[in-house]
Amino acid sequence: MTSRIILLVEDNPSDEALTLRAFTKSGIRNEVVVTRDGAEALDYVFCTGAFADRNILDMPAVVLMDLNLPKLSGLEALKRIRDNPATKSLPVVILTSSDEEEDRLKGYEFGANSFVRKPVEFDRFVAAVQQLGLYWLILNEPSPARNGTSLPHET
Amino acid sequence: MSRNAQDDAENDGGIVNRFSDDISGSDDIAGQWSAADATQKAFLNILEDSNEEKGRLGAVQSAVLNILEDFDTERKNVEQANAVLRHEVAERTRAEAALRRANAATAAANKELEAFSYSVAHDLRAPLRSIDGFSQALVEDCADNLPAEGRTYIGHLRESAQHMARLIDGLLSLSRLGRTEISRSRMDLVPIVRAIFARFRREQPGRSVELIVPAEVIAIADVRMMEVLFENLLENAWKFTSKRPHARIEFGQVLRDGHLVCYFRDNGAGFDMEYAGKLFAVFQRLHTTSEFEGTGIGLANVERIVHRHGGRIWGEGEVDRGATFYFTLEEGT
Repeated sequence: MTSRIILLVEDNPSDEALTLRAFTKSGIRNEVVVTRDGAEALDYVFCTGAFADRNILDMPAVVLMDLNLPKLSGLEALKRIRDNPATKSLPVVILTSSDEEEDRLKGYEFGANSFVRKPVEFDRFVAAVQQLGLYWLILNEPSPARNGTSLPHET
Repeated sequence: MSRNAQDDAENDGGIVNRFSDDISGSDDIAGQWSAADATQKAFLNILEDSNEEKGRLGAVQSAVLNILEDFDTERKNVEQANAVLRHEVAERTRAEAALRRANAATAAANKELEAFSYSVAHDLRAPLRSIDGFSQALVEDCADNLPAEGRTYIGHLRESAQHMARLIDGLLSLSRLGRTEISRSRMDLVPIVRAIFARFRREQPGRSVELIVPAEVIAIADVRMMEVLFENLLENAWKFTSKRPHARIEFGQVLRDGHLVCYFRDNGAGFDMEYAGKLFAVFQRLHTTSEFEGTGIGLANVERIVHRHGGRIWGEGEVDRGATFYFTLEEGT
């Protein structure tokens, strides 16, 4: 069974707190796992390191990936996720402060499903997070080919 | 010719012999004289001919000499030109090396600038989001412990954070406009103006604003930059006409000093021509924030776009009588 876990990859504690607050305010009650750099995010996704005990079949519903991260950048982490057949269709949304064309270009080239710029104004940030949650947690149907098996999922 | 003259003399002699034998001796002398005369004439003619020939030879010789002389001059010229060319090639090689160095320096500076603006885009915005977000959290979660005064202060905090975010965005767009390559194509500017105007109208349907445009205004320009240009001009006009019950915004083309010039006119707050020189400077504002909100970057963006196209821009206005911005999009206008 897939849970509807949200994997948030964010190194800035303030942004993490604001994003969690935005989820709560939007009425999104799903479990949010926070990893603070690209390497930790990959550990979670591939069940390695600190997440070795995690069930690999239990993939997050969506990964919200910041770009500018310590150790392994968001783009590098995304590339590793896409390179692995088990995770190549895992929904990854880039959620970043940047709206530089180069970032958007690379983000999509590396296989991001979406690119969302975090607005400075909190109300707009909440609205953005709400729409993301609505789309990726409720509206979007994940790929059945994921993990090589067709898995039923909660609705 | 000389031989004919001699024959004639002999024939004449024959006739004289037949009719008067007595004077045959004097006849002979006359014949000889005339023959000698003819011979002399013939010689003279030959001499004359050979003189002519000599003259011709002389001319040929001097012509050859002239050619040789010319050839020598030409050779000297070629040698000189070669020397100049060698010098020029050396100069050019030096200049090319200098240009390559300058280009490398520019590329390095651009890379640094890119890294800088990336950092501005990403790193400066995050703290602002935090200031804005937690200010609001304070109002929402701790409202009971917060007097009205406190809420006002927090309002100022949020407003400042959002204003700074707009300033950062403006600066970023300015630096981006300086960096992106310009790619020209032929287009009609009127649909661009109409589309942006329609968006403004959708966002603020309560306002009465009339847009006046001609059937078409053809330009050879960068389409994305034109969108940014009209976005900024329209934002400007839209804002400064906000206190007019019936605002009028006009876009068109006029002939000025033999050149087609685009203009963008509004019947808004206008400006004092004394400050016309400051219109396009970054962060320069001619109105207080309490009168009209703004960052002072919009017209700087407009000017940069016009300059990137090699054109010119200037503003004409009068306080409370509206403003007109004139611009061209071609080199040498």
